[in-house]
Amino acid sequence: MSIAPDTAAVGEEVKAKDDYFTFVEGVGNIPRDIYKYVKSDPAGDLPRYSVHIVIQHFLVATTFLVLAATGLALHFADVFWAPYVIALFGGADTARFIHRIAAYIMILTSVYHLVTITAGSVQKILKNEFDYKRTQIPTPKDLFDLIHDVKYFLGIEPFRPKMEKFSYKQKLHYLAIIWGTIVLSVAGMALLFPGIVAKIFPEVIFKLHSQPATNGGFPALFQDLARLMHADEAVMALIVLAFWHLANVHIVPGRFPFQWTFLTGRITREHQIEEHFLEYINNLKEIPEERDYMKQVLRENEFETSILRESTEEGSVEESTAEKEGD
Amino acid sequence: MDRSRDLNSLKIIGTISIFLVLVLALLSISSYAEAADKDNCLMCHKYQFLGRIDENGKRINYHVSESIYNHTVHRNISCRECHTYIKKIPHDPVEEEVNCANLCHIKTPFSQERFSHERIIEIYKQSAHAPGPGDSALLEKSKPNCKFCHLNPMYTRVSEERIDYHESLSRCLNCHQEKGVTQAYIHMTHRLRKKTSRSPQEIVELCAKCHQDVELMKKLNVSKRGQTAVETYKQSIHGKSVILGSEVAADCISCHASNALHDIYKKDDRRSTVEKKNLRKTCSQCHARTNSWFVQVAVHPSTERDENPIVFFANLSLKFALYGTVFSLVGLMLLETFGRKKDGIKFLLRNGTSWRGKPKQKEKKKK
Repeated sequence: MSIAPDTAAVGEEVKAKDDYFTFVEGVGNIPRDIYKYVKSDPAGDLPRYSVHIVIQHFLVATTFLVLAATGLALHFADVFWAPYVIALFGGADTARFIHRIAAYIMILTSVYHLVTITAGSVQKILKNEFDYKRTQIPTPKDLFDLIHDVKYFLGIEPFRPKMEKFSYKQKLHYLAIIWGTIVLSVAGMALLFPGIVAKIFPEVIFKLHSQPATNGGFPALFQDLARLMHADEAVMALIVLAFWHLANVHIVPGRFPFQWTFLTGRITREHQIEEHFLEYINNLKEIPEERDYMKQVLRENEFETSILRESTEEGSVEESTAEKEGD
Repeated sequence: MDRSRDLNSLKIIGTISIFLVLVLALLSISSYAEAADKDNCLMCHKYQFLGRIDENGKRINYHVSESIYNHTVHRNISCRECHTYIKKIPHDPVEEEVNCANLCHIKTPFSQERFSHERIIEIYKQSAHAPGPGDSALLEKSKPNCKFCHLNPMYTRVSEERIDYHESLSRCLNCHQEKGVTQAYIHMTHRLRKKTSRSPQEIVELCAKCHQDVELMKKLNVSKRGQTAVETYKQSIHGKSVILGSEVAADCISCHASNALHDIYKKDDRRSTVEKKNLRKTCSQCHARTNSWFVQVAVHPSTERDENPIVFFANLSLKFALYGTVFSLVGLMLLETFGRKKDGIKFLLRNGTSWRGKPKQKEKKKK
């Protein structure tokens, strides 16, 4: 059987380009499209999320579904399905109560998340292992990655950008979630405790606000805005999650039909190399077993391994040799 | 020995159960309202098809259902105490209407005075709903009288629910006089436990009967906010909760009337519960933490441009943000799906998918 056309399309001129191979100490030159030759376990091969993140994702996803179901039915009270959904939650008053409880759990989860990432970062800084590139902090590279990726989708670039642990999409989504959680929490609190929220605004803002008191002044305006933003932000979150997040994670080519990362906290090797190439290089540096495996793959597929001390021409690899090479 | 004991206990159980059945049967016989029909009006009015077709071709049914009437609050009041104009039987065609301010022959237990709805009618007469001297003919015609809201089937007893007795006591005092009733009430259970005997949904429906009619409201020179009152209420969290069946969310009466229920005034009236100075007290019925800031929050929120321009433009920009975000993100996703066709499904089919755990290297190896 001949080489698959998509592999053949990677012509010599592409391979000759500087960034086709990435040299890793002790492994060799890693070609950009090596993900087409590796073996992947659907449950995930490489570590990505800690157990805390998995728990947090589970809590946030569950509470979000409850919040969306009760909140949508309460907000769109006059549409035909609203009474059925509300009946499912035991009436309007109970649904409002459940909405609040779910909101509290979600806010607590957010606090849990902040504690986790802060503690983790501090730990890494103390060990001198902290690398901002492996965090969610946005960098200018993300913008170039987006442009590069669009070019790839349009067929101009031969490969997808080499991305860090979190790609531009993930960083965007993460920032959106932070913003959304803050807006929804503040607006929700304003709706839940109108008296307190009306009072905490300093008198100055009230006086600065030029609008005459016919519309109720600043507290009333804030309440109006809170009503708008709570609903708008929630609908936006729901649509983005339903049509973007789910599609990106489980449906787009390469990810279909399902990813188990949200439960196992591990990512498949193929996915890691394709979308988080630089993170895979980090993995190679950190995990000896992965180095051995990659060397084996390179050798089996007759990629250039001259950088190694001994290159075996045999198809199969003895584990003893692999171990030596790893050293 | 055991068997005779069993037999004995069976006998006792049998006797007790027969006794219980008898007691229950006695209890379940509803008290027959003899007093209500001492003039024997039901002799004719018990017939279900008693009626006539009037000059305009309208069908009128004069049937009085005894089973319904005996369960209403008026069950102990004889027909002629309200229908006073009937002097003889068979009676002449009825021209007059009943007057709810009549004195009944029912005496209140402590004051021993004849009962009347006069006190509440006095409150109603001062409210915004009573015909006033400066009213146009249309306005006078449009204003609701007693029977407009209090339809006869509504005179049924309400279910008991325990709330603070001061609340319901103030309702008693709408009609009863204070002396005696107060002491008596504390030692009694009573049925007027809620502010209104109707559910919030029924109250909203009742008020909306007229106030939703924007054309009528325009003709009656109601203010712009008044015209959209029902619509804006339904956009508020109170309205949405009530539509979905909430029992605790505020309905129209909760805010617009005190416990006298009929004292609905225009919002500029000093006596009105929604007048600026009274708002705090009104809101604090439910919202414990009310303050001068809280009462400024819009209960009838409007996003109309000319009423609330800031909110209108905020709404508009939020909509833009929503659709902009959604369409750009979904657009990017679709572009990705299109762009990855080249290494998408075909790639998976040709090389096997990571799902099956197959290595994807075989083809190249064979070469």
